[in-house]
Amino acid sequence: MIAIYKREVKSCLTSMYGAIAISVMLLIVGYMFRYYNLHSGASSLVYAVFNSNLIFYIVVPVLTMRSFAEERRQKTDQLLLTAPVSPMEIVMGKYLALITVYAIPCLVMCVLPLIISPYGEMSYAVDYVSILIFFLIGCAYLACGMFISSLTDNQIIAAIGSLLFVFLTMILHNTYTLVSANSFPSMVMFVILAVIAGAIVVAMTSNFTAGICTTAVCAAAVFIAYFVKQDWFAGKPEMILKCLDFYSHFESFAYSSFKVADLLYFVSVAVIGIVLTFTSLQRRRWN
Amino acid sequence: MIEVKNLTKQYGDHLAVDDLSFTVDEGSVYGFLGPNGAGKSTTMNIMTGYLAPTEGEVIINGYSILDEPEKAKRTIGYLPEIPPLYPDMTVREYLTFAAELKKVPRKDRKAQVARVMEELSITDVADRLIKNLSKGYKQRVGFAQALVSNPETLILDEPTVGLDPKQIIEIRELIKELGKKHTVILSSHILAEVSEICDTVMIISNGRLVALDTPENLAAGQGQGTQIIISSPADAETLESVLTAFAGEGKVNISEGSDGLLTATIDYEGEGDPRKEIVTALAKAGCPYYSVDVKKASLEDIFLELTENEGDVDYSEADEDDSEAEEEESVSSTDALDAEGDESRADKDDSEADRDESETEDASGEDKDASDKKADTFGDSAEKAGEEV
Repeated sequence: MIAIYKREVKSCLTSMYGAIAISVMLLIVGYMFRYYNLHSGASSLVYAVFNSNLIFYIVVPVLTMRSFAEERRQKTDQLLLTAPVSPMEIVMGKYLALITVYAIPCLVMCVLPLIISPYGEMSYAVDYVSILIFFLIGCAYLACGMFISSLTDNQIIAAIGSLLFVFLTMILHNTYTLVSANSFPSMVMFVILAVIAGAIVVAMTSNFTAGICTTAVCAAAVFIAYFVKQDWFAGKPEMILKCLDFYSHFESFAYSSFKVADLLYFVSVAVIGIVLTFTSLQRRRWN
Repeated sequence: MIEVKNLTKQYGDHLAVDDLSFTVDEGSVYGFLGPNGAGKSTTMNIMTGYLAPTEGEVIINGYSILDEPEKAKRTIGYLPEIPPLYPDMTVREYLTFAAELKKVPRKDRKAQVARVMEELSITDVADRLIKNLSKGYKQRVGFAQALVSNPETLILDEPTVGLDPKQIIEIRELIKELGKKHTVILSSHILAEVSEICDTVMIISNGRLVALDTPENLAAGQGQGTQIIISSPADAETLESVLTAFAGEGKVNISEGSDGLLTATIDYEGEGDPRKEIVTALAKAGCPYYSVDVKKASLEDIFLELTENEGDVDYSEADEDDSEAEEEESVSSTDALDAEGDESRADKDDSEADRDESETEDASGEDKDASDKKADTFGDSAEKAGEEV
């Protein structure tokens, strides 16, 4: 795992990918810092960090598009998978390398509060926690981007995929008002989710019957629940959308207060991303 | 010691490997022979743990590749069909990475890397980026990667592809040398190579093992007797009347080449070498001749016979080249092999081909046509091979 980690970090930092990611991050954060803190005189780093979310649109695709897609295209995954390391070690080695590269500009961000500290009262805790949250969102995105990269052997497709993912998770909060809060549309949405679950099962196992069974069981459960307790469905679509919405978890910290739940949210998304990458790697061996 | 038991690999509806079982003993060189798409690469990929089998098991030096993959993988060095190289690393960096990945102890790494670079004569490119290397060098760096952990077993998928004739000879020597200490399994569709290097040949066709024996035994067991080829400027009737005595009525096969010379081919069923008698008989009959050659059943005949019986053979023109090369062995065999190597690399991607059965079949149909056409231009010696297709 350490061998893979070292190789990945070195390869990223000696290529244009690492340079682009780090410089774009520093440029955007630096601009936001100048605008909100130096120009407008805000005492907290929260606004600068929060408004830097544009970074993810660039950094996530640039850093993750290569990770598994390029290995597959060059067939170097044959070296990794036939070496005495487990697939999980390969995934973790690569993921930790991504995190390490991403952490470099985040560490530079830690200097920012110190720059403005001589000019007034400020809360270091808020500033550093906001950098931590920013780092964790990045970790969650990088894990998802890595998973998308493991699905294809084409870097461009991987990059577009992760760009779309970032886009969707960032704009989803705008769609809350578009979905009805009534019970029936809500039930329909659950049925659609059951179909999606079935599709995922088919994609993962290549077993069509298993997919149909999954959909059928889930849909049946939804119907039964609908007739037994109709009220429960009211307002649920918004809740589901919220689960997929990175932005609102980010926002809730920036504009209200720090919640451990938000922190755990990003950590668990990262874990899901890693597990999915591992599954996708294993699946390719069995099919 | 490698045991492969009832190995089956299915891609959708396509059966790439079909109930394959064999045992490989320690300290010898095994050759995996088969037409394109026969399942050679798939089998190797399963043996090294890159792919998982649909059914069956592989036991490498006492460890199951499925149950104890890390222990089993520690004892293997694998050179896949396309060497798994990182273009943005230097040769030395890459080999050091491979050594670390394969758990070579830190204190030995430098020495092992230096050793494999020496063995494959790539020391002079040690600090160059892999992307700037030529194909032959890349292939050798890939080979070095397989050797760096000094594994008990070496699995090499077409190790001489992309090398020039001199390098091919060097690599073959190296494989023979390695075969004394390690177990080596190599795949190839270059028949001359397999009969030269390997102690044992495994011929697979459509994912099934159709023969497993030494090259000599295979030739002895499957040979169709001695074939005599006579080139003569005489008229066909005279030639036939003389040769009927040796081959039997109606068994003399005479064809006329573009240069007006007749080529007579007979299968001699008797013992020993009949050339002396044939020459005397021709002289007595006043029938002039330019050459009388003996052709024993070669590995390629056996290969054709065994793989043809399996039905739809994907017999590509690459093998056609080879048959010609072997007949004119001393002159051009290595050149032809090299050319063939390049070809096979371009048109063959086993794993993908396996996944799309229909595509492979279409391609094989085209190949047959192409090889038929090509046979015409080859002249007499290759015509026979063309007909066999």
